[in-house]
Amino acid sequence: MVDGSAPDMNPQEDITRIRVLYAKGESLRFTGHLDMQRLWERLLRRSSLPVRYSQGYHPRARLNLASALPLGFVSDAELLDFWMNEPLPINEIYARLSDAAPPGLTIKEVLQVPLSEDALQVQMAASEFEVEFFDPQDVEVLNKKVNDFLAQDTIMRSRRKKVYDLRPLVMEINVIGRENGEPALQMKLKAEEGATGRPDEVLDQMGFSNTEYLVYRTKLLFS
Amino acid sequence: MSELNSRQESLQRRVERILPTVVKPGRYVGGELNQVHKPWDSVRTHFALVFPDIYDLGQSNLGIALLYDILNKRQDVAAERAFAPWIDMEAAMREKGIPLFSLENKRALSDFDIIGFSLPYETVYTNFINLLDLSNIPIFSKDRTDEMPLVIAGGQAIYNPEPVSPFVDAFVLGEGEEAVLDIVNAYQAWEDQGGSREDLLIRLAEVPGVYVPSLYEIDYQEDGRITSIQATHPSASMPIDKRIMAELPPPLTHFMVPNVEVVQERVSVEIMRGCTRGCRFCHAGMVNRPIRERSVEDILDTLREGIRQTGYEEVSLLSLSSSDYSQIIPLINGLGDLLREQQVNITLPSLRIESFSGEIMDALQDLSPGGGFTLAPEAGTERLRNIINKPISDAEFFDTVRAIFEHGWNTIKLYFMIGHPQETLEDVAAIAELAKETLQIGRRIVGGRVRIHLGVSTFIPKPHTPFQWAAFDDPVSIQEKIFVLHDRLHGSKVKMTWNDPMASQHEAWLSRGDRRIADVIFKAWQNGARFDAWREHFNIENWQKAFEDCNLDPDFYGKRARDIDEVLPWDHINAGVKKSFLKRDYEWSLEGKIRPDCRQQCYSCGILSSFNELRLAHPDGGWKCP
Repeated sequence: MVDGSAPDMNPQEDITRIRVLYAKGESLRFTGHLDMQRLWERLLRRSSLPVRYSQGYHPRARLNLASALPLGFVSDAELLDFWMNEPLPINEIYARLSDAAPPGLTIKEVLQVPLSEDALQVQMAASEFEVEFFDPQDVEVLNKKVNDFLAQDTIMRSRRKKVYDLRPLVMEINVIGRENGEPALQMKLKAEEGATGRPDEVLDQMGFSNTEYLVYRTKLLFS
Repeated sequence: MSELNSRQESLQRRVERILPTVVKPGRYVGGELNQVHKPWDSVRTHFALVFPDIYDLGQSNLGIALLYDILNKRQDVAAERAFAPWIDMEAAMREKGIPLFSLENKRALSDFDIIGFSLPYETVYTNFINLLDLSNIPIFSKDRTDEMPLVIAGGQAIYNPEPVSPFVDAFVLGEGEEAVLDIVNAYQAWEDQGGSREDLLIRLAEVPGVYVPSLYEIDYQEDGRITSIQATHPSASMPIDKRIMAELPPPLTHFMVPNVEVVQERVSVEIMRGCTRGCRFCHAGMVNRPIRERSVEDILDTLREGIRQTGYEEVSLLSLSSSDYSQIIPLINGLGDLLREQQVNITLPSLRIESFSGEIMDALQDLSPGGGFTLAPEAGTERLRNIINKPISDAEFFDTVRAIFEHGWNTIKLYFMIGHPQETLEDVAAIAELAKETLQIGRRIVGGRVRIHLGVSTFIPKPHTPFQWAAFDDPVSIQEKIFVLHDRLHGSKVKMTWNDPMASQHEAWLSRGDRRIADVIFKAWQNGARFDAWREHFNIENWQKAFEDCNLDPDFYGKRARDIDEVLPWDHINAGVKKSFLKRDYEWSLEGKIRPDCRQQCYSCGILSSFNELRLAHPDGGWKCP
């Protein structure tokens, strides 16, 4: 093995593409997208699965994360694809990933997908979120904020010195009741490449500071 | 207890509220893979381990990681971590009245029984007292009451403990692996028997390697020099011997894996401790004697197990001089196999020139091709290299450089120091010439891909070294030397980095300070000093003003050469190497006389006479004194 020109030791037909549905819990709330990629590379190394690595002196696992989760959010519905050099039974992959998972990351489902599928990012269409507030909220006030927001045709905002229209990225917002009876929000936002809505932007527009709530991603929707 | 629980919940909740407002909040949440989290009420003794800089630096500290592992292996002890919050987080914490808290149970540090601070270098001293303040613990030891946590400290800087001695209840001198457990035992025995805080300190003073500064009295002459250092209690030993391990304990494999980026994320294994070379400026080389090695098998097993437990993509070998490791070739060959099998990379620490054979280079070539190579001649001329006892001829140096390029590397990092005793401007100019010649040789062999980095640090006289009596160079003179290097390198492709002379001077003041300088540290902190190790935060004015306020002369600590017979502030600390040996070595340096590597011949530095019994009790311990 000298450099990238080393022969591929594994014939194409044995390569498998594995999709993982996982939850990202509170202890990983502040682990950002790039850190999640590194976390996954290490998780895969610990799992001892026949993960497919790049060639060369700094081998890296081939990974594909569906959609970056903003810092501070938790999620029940994250998706990742990785590739293996040989097939293994799904339940064994599930067990080995679960054993290797760090605190805060729960493997929920594992499946094999066709190699020919598009990258996850390309398939993404929308994300669903739930917002829990730390302090009690008045349902009426909350409803009014939602209705006022949705009544607008355009909501121009600027983020990282870029001006954009938030309104078309918001597909739905609903006031819901949580198990403890406290009102919460549910929202569905676009998540296409180059057109992704952020719940914290919606909440900021409604007048909530990011110290007042916790956001859960509950679902990723494909096109 | 329920009241305590609710207090704890509210602290955690209060922290969570401010996290979204600060930079990199992942530093403050814990919860990493391999973290040890014990329910608070399930253990008897709560031990906080604190590194007084940010998580990003401290989390990789191997000393903290080792003690964390050792302490948590005990059923009755929970060790939890705390680090310095960054400026923004500290401001948010102070605004909301949030005290410094541990990452595991999110408990205020004042809830712990024992707080152990790691003090690896002098520039963390203001952070250290800042963290005491942020924990609502009195900064001065004398102001602490019986129910407050015991504050202890260890680390490489405290072989001269005096500058921080008024802030610390007890120091652990030397290697802490066993001492830390003895301290827990002494603490629990004191709890069982009851007694005052002073009773606890006396008990601790009886633990080998533990120094309780309040049990010693220092007298000064009118000019500020010390007349005498005296123990004021029968339990306070004189001198206080450092603690060492006769053989290296099993290495750590259970590394924590951070969820946010920190420095040095890798599996590290110490391949040996100590160094026999005797470079006269080198603190680590003197205070970490004797040399003890781990077996190749242990090292490779550790790396393999460490990778299995962490999934890290990089491994690293730690030592002061790796190419002096007696089994270096078998080790490198074993590493090659490991890397291929595990798909990981390796980082190699600095290798010494004189011990650097073609054989090692051949073996290394497989491991890290194309990357950089580090050489540390430390001085520009043969004359000065003899004075600092790093003897290597220019010819040998260039032979090594040639061999490195011929083996396919194209980047060499050169480390030099300026401000050595007896240094002239010719010695400084020679550094630039060596660097330029290295570049030329590289051009001839590898062509345009050659890269030369020149790292220039400033010599700081350190306690327990042969140069402990030498003067620290004047910052103006250091600046002039940096200009000389700049001029000489102008237009060449050598990339140079250097230290701020003012920051070096600050380190020099503290490293040979006495007990009186503690007031300066305290004042400087009051003036706003913290994160002194960070260039963007270090402000010399905080310190100059503090010296004025305390009516002390900084030059007394920095520029002043010590009288050879003077009582030095650390004379009561036995780091293993005798003062008489250091004195003779200093005199040799003045004559330009070198002292060869002591593995060939024992020069009675003092380590054997201090620890002879220990050595005899462990005949197979890998201890390499002849």
